[in-house]
Amino acid sequence: MKDQTIPKLLRQSAKRHANKVALREKDLGVWQNITWDQYYENVKCFSLGIVSLGLERGDKVSILSENNPEWLYADIGTQSARGVVVGVYPTNVASQVEYILGHSQSKFVVVGDQEQTDKVLEVAERLPGLKKIIVIDMKGLRKYTHPLIVAFKEVLTLGKTVDEGDPGLFDRMVNETDAEDTALMVYTSGTTGKPKGAMISHRNAIASAENFITATPFKERDSVVSYLPLCHIAERSFSVFYPLVVGGITVNFAETIDTVQQNLREIAPTIFFAVPRIWEKMHAGHVMRMRDATWLKRLVDRWCLRIGRACYEKRQENNGISYGWKILYAIAFIIHFHPLQRIWGLNRARNLYTGGAPTPPEVSVFFHGIGLPVRELYGLTECTGICTVHQGEDIRIGTVGQLAPGVELKLGDDGELVFKSEGVFQGYYRNPEATAETIKDGWLYSGDVGRLTEHGHVKVIDRKKDIIITSGGKNISPQEIENEFKASPFIKDAVVVGDGRKYLTALILIEYDNVGKWAEDNHIAYTTFRDLSQKGEIFELISQITKDVNRKFAQVETVKKFTVLDKELDQDDDELTATQKVRRKIIEEKYRDVIAAMYR
Amino acid sequence: MPVSNTTREENAGFLERDSAIPPQLVISDLFLSFGGIEALSCLDLEIRKGEIFSIIGPNGAGKTCILNCISGLYRPQQGKVLFEGVDITPLEPHKRAALGIGRTFQNIELFKKMTVIDNVMLGRHRFLKSGIFSGGIFFGKTKQEELAQRLRTEEVIDFLEIESIRKKTVGELPYGLQKRVELGRALAMEPEVLLLDEPAAGMNLEETEDIVRFILDVNEEFGTTIVLIEHDLQVVMEISAKVACIDFGFKIAEGTPEVIQKDPKVIKAYLGEE
Repeated sequence: MKDQTIPKLLRQSAKRHANKVALREKDLGVWQNITWDQYYENVKCFSLGIVSLGLERGDKVSILSENNPEWLYADIGTQSARGVVVGVYPTNVASQVEYILGHSQSKFVVVGDQEQTDKVLEVAERLPGLKKIIVIDMKGLRKYTHPLIVAFKEVLTLGKTVDEGDPGLFDRMVNETDAEDTALMVYTSGTTGKPKGAMISHRNAIASAENFITATPFKERDSVVSYLPLCHIAERSFSVFYPLVVGGITVNFAETIDTVQQNLREIAPTIFFAVPRIWEKMHAGHVMRMRDATWLKRLVDRWCLRIGRACYEKRQENNGISYGWKILYAIAFIIHFHPLQRIWGLNRARNLYTGGAPTPPEVSVFFHGIGLPVRELYGLTECTGICTVHQGEDIRIGTVGQLAPGVELKLGDDGELVFKSEGVFQGYYRNPEATAETIKDGWLYSGDVGRLTEHGHVKVIDRKKDIIITSGGKNISPQEIENEFKASPFIKDAVVVGDGRKYLTALILIEYDNVGKWAEDNHIAYTTFRDLSQKGEIFELISQITKDVNRKFAQVETVKKFTVLDKELDQDDDELTATQKVRRKIIEEKYRDVIAAMYR
Repeated sequence: MPVSNTTREENAGFLERDSAIPPQLVISDLFLSFGGIEALSCLDLEIRKGEIFSIIGPNGAGKTCILNCISGLYRPQQGKVLFEGVDITPLEPHKRAALGIGRTFQNIELFKKMTVIDNVMLGRHRFLKSGIFSGGIFFGKTKQEELAQRLRTEEVIDFLEIESIRKKTVGELPYGLQKRVELGRALAMEPEVLLLDEPAAGMNLEETEDIVRFILDVNEEFGTTIVLIEHDLQVVMEISAKVACIDFGFKIAEGTPEVIQKDPKVIKAYLGEE
């Protein structure tokens, strides 16, 4: 597989599977199948089309769209012409889009719909390098007469004409693609500073995918639902790299972003990856639903969960599970766990993953208990996704699993995790300083502090920059404490501060829906988020949670005071990254007065 | 909203080019009274094909009466409504609908206990040909017909981006979405003229922006003529090609948004006199 590239893999799959279903998209209420042949044909047409519009080797093509099959056609089509694909989050605002299009020097941008087109048009004047805006869904755009705009369909038609003129051309183009070509650039959201464009080659992508698939095997008949942003390395791996490397996995696209949950239920994928936020939400949803249930249902729920948890703990301690327990578990599974799994569309899921941020252990244990063994994985954009993952039966919650095959680890002086693998990226685009800081002698410096446990699992403690050193000289990982907070259904986010201070404090963001419901149940009237968050009763509620959290930590690690934030954190205000991670520095700066008040 | 600018300018251009063409909808010398109360007097309006025509005016001015006269719910005592040159004044409402006049209502008039799909599908009624018996057996042609209508319904659902609620009962939806479903039902009948009675009433800013975008999209995509009653003057001024202001049943002004905004009579009707 040494000189493999993504377009070559697609060609192989198209030859081997031809009429099998590669992609599925729900359109007008009906699931439409796209075979591997059609997939390849569309990629071919897009590729030839965009080349005749002027794409040359090494040119950048940005894609700014929700997930759909066209995203993949544009992606692999560009790579077939030896172009580089830059994914942009559809949630980015115009100024962020401008930065990425400008910094990547994109010659083309593929946009999903009118909303995204408007964003690009707003900044197009300041992007002289931009040659065409290729629009997938032309709805509402027919009257736009902007010279840059061209419909996605037109590009395909253009490509088709070229193909008819020279049927062997695309084949030759694919032959020419090289494993060392930069295939894509991923702009890391970065919790500090401007985003950086990580360059990833075909070799990186394929090697990393192979490592992952060896670690947790996939089957040819597996299916996934593509619903997280494709510009993120994780979703791209699950929707593009893995299906191509395994050859034969079906990728399903949700109808719209609002129907993901319904569509999941319809598809019931066998492979499911979610970020902790989603697992937390599912867990919180269950807890809240049970609050509304009848006493009998609540009793059954508690009984079943206790059995699930007990069985999970027995398995952890490597004690055999007795027949008695097995029967109890089977009963719990039939009456409770299986229906529960069906609600989420996870009843067929075999490979379940969580990653992208630390998962609260409480939440993981819950899912293990109900028969969904969620594997935590750890990876970085800079090593093309995966570094470690829970493999086989050996899943230890609180760790991020064993090293994936083909990945080497060493610990830096200060406990920094340093990796080496074929997945280590080519460097940051137009930023040699940052590249030199990240890659040294082929080793990738992750910026995360961690250690190896006695069972050979990697435990990530925190971002190196985020470690709190109190004025007493004690090193504390805020992440661990925040995670305990986030396990509560009432808390969406928590930011623990205390660097250079006498004690720890926290900024708490409440989960509006659940706290709102709690308030209604307790007859507390409120009007807005702001009003609700500042109620005395809510303060009491959070105090109680804080007490529970503090019980799990040593004295110095306890949160002494907290403030409930009176507004939701927002990506548009720079408080969250595109992946909804908290930008700690910005928040600490913004709420400086609030924090100071807690130390008075 | 960059969209609206393009539309308005183009619509204005459109008007000048085609002023020779007879208008699509003509209301002439309309008179409507309830007992001793005169709701509309001597009203003349001319609405051209493909334009967004807004009717504004204070509460109780008679705006909805005009729409009701066009759609046939009210029968005027005097005057005529001409649709594409044909006098439709004596026609029943359902016959007018069959000609291609669709509408939404100020207070949502949907079947609350039916699903979104069923409600929207109802708009397809005028295209159904199968009778009561073949419909009951649901076989062969009837089934094909149903499938074809369902496809068109799904296209409307896709257009209005309400996929996620298609199987929900209308009554459990928030107000803003119900309004969108009602627009969907009107669109499903593929109207030539769409009468919208306060489509943005009671909506928050975001919902208003959404509905305005849909109105513009309908107008651009299908070339549907739109007669709009709306209290949100900013919306009216941004998207209309022409505006008529009604007060106490009389038309007191008519013209492009720019003209209407400066008209002293309009200002007087809205703000009163010093």
